[in-house]
Amino acid sequence: MAAAAVAAALPFTGVSVYVGTLVYYVAYYLALGQAWNMMSGLTGYVSFAHGALAGIGAYAAVMAINRGSPIALALVAGVAATAFASLVIGVTSLRLRGTAFTFATLFFQELLLLGVRKLPAAGGAAGTTLQEILPTSLPHVLMVLTAAAATIAFALVRRSRTGVRLLAIKGDEDAAAAVGIDATRLKIVVFCASAALCGLAGGIHALFVASLHPESVFSVDTSIVALAVPLIGGVETALGPVVGAILYVGLREILQIAAPSLHLVIVGLLILLVTLFLRDGIVGAARRLLRRRRTYRAALETAR
Amino acid sequence: MSRLEAAGLRKRFGGLHAVDGIDVTVEPGELVGLFGPNGAGKTTLFNLIAGAYYPDAGTIRFGGDDVTRFPAFRRARLGIARTFQLVRPFRALSIMENLLAVVASEGTPSRTPERDALQLLGDVGLADRAHDPAGSLTLGMLKRFEVARALMLQPRLLLLDEPLAGLTDGESAMMLRLIESVKARAAVVMVEHNVRLALPLCDRAVVMEQGKVIAQGTPAQIRSDPAVIHAYLGDTPEGA
Repeated sequence: MAAAAVAAALPFTGVSVYVGTLVYYVAYYLALGQAWNMMSGLTGYVSFAHGALAGIGAYAAVMAINRGSPIALALVAGVAATAFASLVIGVTSLRLRGTAFTFATLFFQELLLLGVRKLPAAGGAAGTTLQEILPTSLPHVLMVLTAAAATIAFALVRRSRTGVRLLAIKGDEDAAAAVGIDATRLKIVVFCASAALCGLAGGIHALFVASLHPESVFSVDTSIVALAVPLIGGVETALGPVVGAILYVGLREILQIAAPSLHLVIVGLLILLVTLFLRDGIVGAARRLLRRRRTYRAALETAR
Repeated sequence: MSRLEAAGLRKRFGGLHAVDGIDVTVEPGELVGLFGPNGAGKTTLFNLIAGAYYPDAGTIRFGGDDVTRFPAFRRARLGIARTFQLVRPFRALSIMENLLAVVASEGTPSRTPERDALQLLGDVGLADRAHDPAGSLTLGMLKRFEVARALMLQPRLLLLDEPLAGLTDGESAMMLRLIESVKARAAVVMVEHNVRLALPLCDRAVVMEQGKVIAQGTPAQIRSDPAVIHAYLGDTPEGA
């Protein structure tokens, strides 16, 4: 909480723009990572569209502002557009079990890129630019608040009976149905909530970058970052994506200087190593280590 | 009105008639044993009643309502609870969380789910394991845990799929006592291979073979039924 307050106040303290930007990106990827964690981390249904969902929020917000809408309303439009898109994906593919949803999100990601490039209202292949000039402190503060709220929301959901039911679906969907859980409905609802969060973060991000190009907004890269952040840090925990986002942004900075073209390759390797050797991410592994140490100490005490 | 009334149920898997025209009724407060050799269609019948899949033909009435096309989760909320032949706990969750995941019946949701859960865990002798991960329990414990999880639904019909399979003698004795006590809360249908232990508990027994009911009646009638003896022991020489 204190960390979030400090991070939000950064642009007003005279700290360098460089550091401010790094903190901003940690917040952006944390918001997306937490959204992914809520859907895919808790239900096990892997989404490859969280970056594209944020892209919808970004486009909706810019198009609304350029047509004279106030910023708050534009962000709401972004959330609404994203939630609607997720409903379309969810209702069609979450009735089925297994990988149907994952493929649907991948197709959706590609379809969106093709569609937006052909859409004159969205600026077509050339993209679109925010016609209002805003101070970057506005998206900075909003994004840090969104990321903090997303983290708190995740922790609350995880502890609630809804969170337990989502994990039950992840564990065994037949057994979940046998204890009265309406898995289809619950999956769709949580996917919509997760997407709405992406839409909000995407809308705010549009205020930050000010110009949108379909190739970069709807590239699969952002979707991969959204899943890399919780996978590296630890899914199913609120803290995991925080660790993952900081680590990812730090790593990207180093790699952009050391090996500019390889940064996603190395992130991919990192995910592979974490999932192979740590399974539950850095936070999960750290917790296990702590627990083992505690039982070891307790055993020593009783031995004495 | 019967608690459960299944009429003319049929289910085919490819060319195999797993359930081939079955009528079963269960009255409130009754404990019905479902027996038969492997492959007789007992578990298929369970899955049809619980809604894991739909029958090709026939109807299922529960408390008078036609639930034939209701999905499994709705039947669970209406009060049809089940356990699984191979235990299926949510292994990543604690025992307590497993019970709290249950969506209680549509009519009367409990206001104190935590207290209910602890009470049920006490009833099945697992109160002290409430906060352990489900994956850390022994098979005997998991079998009793599944009964507790099913009872969280406040069921009116409980389906027990081989509750004694894989249990030691001590654990079996515990489970049999548990089933006796469950009878007061719900009608029970039990599939069990251990006829010797399970049959004395039953008010009525139904014997299946190759997807059909070949005998039903009281335990005493079942023991002396020639069709049952034939199904279990094969042909006996004339006059033997």
